[in-house]
Amino acid sequence: MSSEFLHYLASRFLLEGAVLAIEIAVVSMVLGLVLGLGLAPLRMSRHGALRGPAWCYIWFVRGTPLLLQLVFIYDVLPAVGIKLDALTTAIIGFSLNEAAFSAEIIRGGILSVNRSQAIAAAALGMPTGLTLRRIVMPQAMRSILPGIANQAINMIKSTSIASVILVNELTFRAQQIVGQNFKFFTVFTAAALIYLAMTSCIAVGQIAAERRFDFLRERGESLFARLSAAVRLRRPRDLPGDPDRPALRREALPALIGDLCRDVAEAGERPIIVCHNVQKAYGDRQVLKSIDLTVSRGEVVAIMGPSGSGKSTLLRMINHLEPLDWGEITVDGRHVGYQRMPGGGLRPTGNLARARAEARIGMVFQHFNLFEHLTALENLIEAPIRVYGQPSELAHAIGLRLLAGVGLASHIDHLPHRLSGGQQQRVAIARALAVSPRVILFDEPTSALDPELVGEVLGVIRGLAEAGMTMIIVTHEVGFARDVADRIVFMDDGVIVEEGPPGQVLDQPKQERTRRFLRMVAHEKNEDIAA
Amino acid sequence: MRSLIFGTALAALILGQFASASAADKCEPAALATKYPSLVGKTIKVAQDPQGGPPYSFRDPENFDNLVGLDAELVRAAFACIGVPFEFKTGSWSGLLPSVIAGQADLMWSNLYYTPARAEQVDFVTYLLAATRGIVRKGNPKNVHSLDDACGVRAAAGLGTVEEAMFRGVSDKCAAAGKPPLEIVTYPDRPTGIRMLLNDRADLMMGDAGGGAYTIKLNPNDLESGYVILTDYKVGPGIGKSSPELRRAIFDAMQLLQADGTQKALMLKYGVDPELQRPVEMHTN
Repeated sequence: MSSEFLHYLASRFLLEGAVLAIEIAVVSMVLGLVLGLGLAPLRMSRHGALRGPAWCYIWFVRGTPLLLQLVFIYDVLPAVGIKLDALTTAIIGFSLNEAAFSAEIIRGGILSVNRSQAIAAAALGMPTGLTLRRIVMPQAMRSILPGIANQAINMIKSTSIASVILVNELTFRAQQIVGQNFKFFTVFTAAALIYLAMTSCIAVGQIAAERRFDFLRERGESLFARLSAAVRLRRPRDLPGDPDRPALRREALPALIGDLCRDVAEAGERPIIVCHNVQKAYGDRQVLKSIDLTVSRGEVVAIMGPSGSGKSTLLRMINHLEPLDWGEITVDGRHVGYQRMPGGGLRPTGNLARARAEARIGMVFQHFNLFEHLTALENLIEAPIRVYGQPSELAHAIGLRLLAGVGLASHIDHLPHRLSGGQQQRVAIARALAVSPRVILFDEPTSALDPELVGEVLGVIRGLAEAGMTMIIVTHEVGFARDVADRIVFMDDGVIVEEGPPGQVLDQPKQERTRRFLRMVAHEKNEDIAA
Repeated sequence: MRSLIFGTALAALILGQFASASAADKCEPAALATKYPSLVGKTIKVAQDPQGGPPYSFRDPENFDNLVGLDAELVRAAFACIGVPFEFKTGSWSGLLPSVIAGQADLMWSNLYYTPARAEQVDFVTYLLAATRGIVRKGNPKNVHSLDDACGVRAAAGLGTVEEAMFRGVSDKCAAAGKPPLEIVTYPDRPTGIRMLLNDRADLMMGDAGGGAYTIKLNPNDLESGYVILTDYKVGPGIGKSSPELRRAIFDAMQLLQADGTQKALMLKYGVDPELQRPVEMHTN
């Protein structure tokens, strides 16, 4: 019995069937994944003309039995002059099927990545494709891989249905032997073990791949990490930032920024940001009702106001993360992603990502929005290299100076989740600075921080103000706004209620709404202290 | 004079060729080009399912790469007789006929019964009458010696086979006579049906008589024959309609293989009752 079992296990007849199964599965898996990678973004497209056909394809292929698809390709297409052999038919059939299923798995992976990642990339001027490839997919892999491994294992096993189109693979061969000698237990057990051996390879590969794409693991732990580290070391070794580089000197932030950032030195007459009659509604709710705001070069404007007053929305419209409903906004005299039509109105231009990049507007988010899978330094150099074409060496050097400048010289290789909130926000500020911005927008940069971490972030922003950086800061920190801002803009319910120097708006507010807000903020502050 | 002799010789040669083409009494593989010119240079694709096991087509226990059995050996004999090379295309039974209709294979030679409905899609050359056998567990615990005894038993047949249809008919008759109907279960391939019988999930299994005989031979302590019924079904390859010459070549070859006793010898070899041989017929509808 056992020798007979081994005889079947090593049977060339069965093993050839196994090789055929692998051949079909590997080729179909690769082709299917490539197609699926193309299909998933189409399925998620904003344009119905792309999304519709992608949905229909997935609907049809997923919704009809593979067996019937194979018979159709093999036995019906010859009627229209397309005659494919059995192996080709199997590969085409399995690939087309895999494309539909993997597209949905990949889409699921993409959806699992927090949208803040894509928003941060958009703010850096990264186009959709680049964002998908460099930012979203590497993070999506963690949730994609188990599904894809399932698919691969399933495919190896289900190649047996191809016997209906005369493909002679493992299960079919085993059934033929059983048909001849009826030793189904021995023969099927041998076949099952061969399947198990094949699928084990995938299971092991899955473990390795999951470790590779688990960005929360510390690098340097696994063989994969060491390999990828070896690849990364192909960068010039004398760069500061390598383990053996000299300790970084912390430069004074103002000097560093004067060196790196555009427009900081020149204090031109022309205002840098002009918002005119800006309006925005979400559904029936009018979020912004005719906002006019002008920001001069080097000016620090703090926008304050209760939640829901439209502050963040206004900020996001300046760099066109949100489209305008009405009115116009210019940055350094140019629209971002709009062009004027002959009649005088505005219409969106095609390449919004490029428009954002050219506008060079840095943005810092309440929840930092650092790229979770990239180290602090990699977060900084991503856009300079990929969007602005900065040479890698230069981008590294600038990135290191900036990180040192915000006091994180010893954290350059840390992943975001290893940093405190305050450290993450300082990396985020350095990332915004790395693209040499004309202006930086801060969206409640300290609201998500523990009280004891607020100071370090405000310190960095204060440094930027000293350097002459133009900034618009949405904040609830009254003391900080008084200290840093040249002007306070107080918003409520989609309108600017009053604006002026801090001494005026904060100490002698003219409007009751402003006074009420300031009283509330002061009260909360006292409660915080009491707590 | 010389030219006359030459002319006579040429005429004799031509006549001889003609005679051999019209009423051959032996195989002439070398005459392929004159007898079946459209087959020259082709390799005929023969679709067969070796899953069902003996006696029609199965893997040679000595070498799994080889197909043996009555069907497999008749294919070899017929194409050796015709003089055209062939290759087996193996696949599961239900996929074979579609592949012939689509032109992916030239013919299906895999224990296929002729029916007028099938003959609308493919041409038939038949040479055998199908018989079906009821197999029961050793000792025939339910006393099934004919289909008339089958009322109330658990009866297994291949899905979509003529045996399944026969069971349904018997079941209706039982019910009409006030007896319990059959409990019909179907299986996708014969080994599965045999497992049903051996594991007491069915009392009666009905399928091809030759296959049943082989099954009993392999399990003499567990199974025995209940009954054999001759059917009206004629058996033979289904040939794609696009090649009448191939159909004619197989028809000619099968006549020769019956005439020289090859078919009966092969039937004996694989345990199929030689009395089931029937004169070769062509069916194109």
